[in-house]
Amino acid sequence: MKSALTDACTLRLNNFEGPFDLLFYLIEKNKIDIYDIPIFEITEQYMAYLTAMQEMDLEIASEFLVMAATLLHIKSCMLLPRREEAAAEELDPREELVLKLVTYKKYKEFSQILKDRESYWEKAHYKLPEAIPVIQQEEELEVSPLILRQCMVDVLNRSRERMNDVSRKMQRILDHEKVSLRTKIREILGLLAKGMRFCFSRIFSPLTRSRIEIATGFLALLEVVKIGRAEVDQPVAFGEIYVTPRKPEKKKDNHDIGEGSGEP
Amino acid sequence: MSTINDTEMIIEAVLFAAGDPVPLEKLAEIIEQDKKTTRGILTNMQYKYQHASRGIMLRELDGAWQLCTKPELDPYISRLGPARKKQGLTPAAYETLAIIAYNQPVTRAYIEQIRGVNSDSVIMKLMERNLIREAGRDDAPGRPKLYETTEEFLRVFGFSSLKDLPPLEMNEIPEVVEKMPVD
Repeated sequence: MKSALTDACTLRLNNFEGPFDLLFYLIEKNKIDIYDIPIFEITEQYMAYLTAMQEMDLEIASEFLVMAATLLHIKSCMLLPRREEAAAEELDPREELVLKLVTYKKYKEFSQILKDRESYWEKAHYKLPEAIPVIQQEEELEVSPLILRQCMVDVLNRSRERMNDVSRKMQRILDHEKVSLRTKIREILGLLAKGMRFCFSRIFSPLTRSRIEIATGFLALLEVVKIGRAEVDQPVAFGEIYVTPRKPEKKKDNHDIGEGSGEP
Repeated sequence: MSTINDTEMIIEAVLFAAGDPVPLEKLAEIIEQDKKTTRGILTNMQYKYQHASRGIMLRELDGAWQLCTKPELDPYISRLGPARKKQGLTPAAYETLAIIAYNQPVTRAYIEQIRGVNSDSVIMKLMERNLIREAGRDDAPGRPKLYETTEEFLRVFGFSSLKDLPPLEMNEIPEVVEKMPVD
């Protein structure tokens, strides 16, 4: 039977979001009061839709079948005769469905509002963020001109020594073997024994010092600090290192020095 | 100490450069004012933009502020070049979004109870569009995921915050929802 109804279905079927949507369509089409649904008519029409869907070989989502069952259940409840006195207390079998429908309707209405608002606000245009370059904030070092001057003088002195004294280069090679950690530690301990604070750079004679000597001296100093005979302090990065004597802890004393310096 | 006009100038410049919404806290920090004062200045600026012949407006989005063009001017802006047509949402997506907006954070089961249909793919689509996001898990059995709307949601639909959502007149509803069986 090809009816007007099946034609309507063909157009609408895919547009129903779910059973509630379909019910709504039927309620609106029939101009029904949602709070007083003529359940017989609605069930009939609803089933007609499902049948039409089947005829067109469309897969019917299970939710639609659940709703069909619910409608049939309500219909059968309403067919049952009710006792007069109980009727007042008994819930209308349609009530739960109606409330669900009303809830759904509210959201459906709001979704229309959303749609309208979207079509207005999508006309607003935004700007992409600027790539703001990160400027590396360099730490400001406060250096007095006097210190800078001293540094320059030191550099000049060193380079002059180097330039002038070619023989020292030979000397350095010859001296190479002479620098030993043990001697350096002994030297530092000797200076410390005087009980005075001194500068690291002062333990080398400016004329003879070589890179290897300074490195060894530094290692020796670290050894001395390790055994607790001295404290070091370097107030400025790359600046002078100050060495302060410390009273040795008696127990550890001999043992550690023995190990570090090779003395008995 | 800068005058009000200086402050407005600074905010305008910052918001223009930022493009993205700038949180109120950040703006307050930049102009060295407390949050309340900053908010006052912003509201004042918003009013000025709205009522003067300006092409720009100031929007509040969930406590952050952003500049954008006035929607009315779109016809002119589109003369710049061919418009990119965004793919619209399906009715199912609007429905789902409506339910999430009013009940967030909300589980998929809850959405499906109200809609009466499986909402898996719709939720996925909304996530892809960045209109909703996951918001932890519910304490209920199975620890189902919770969903909530995003800042993008507010932007797309022109709300300043969730408080802006029109009231949903449905006194009887909460009771009903509780009664609904969980499938």
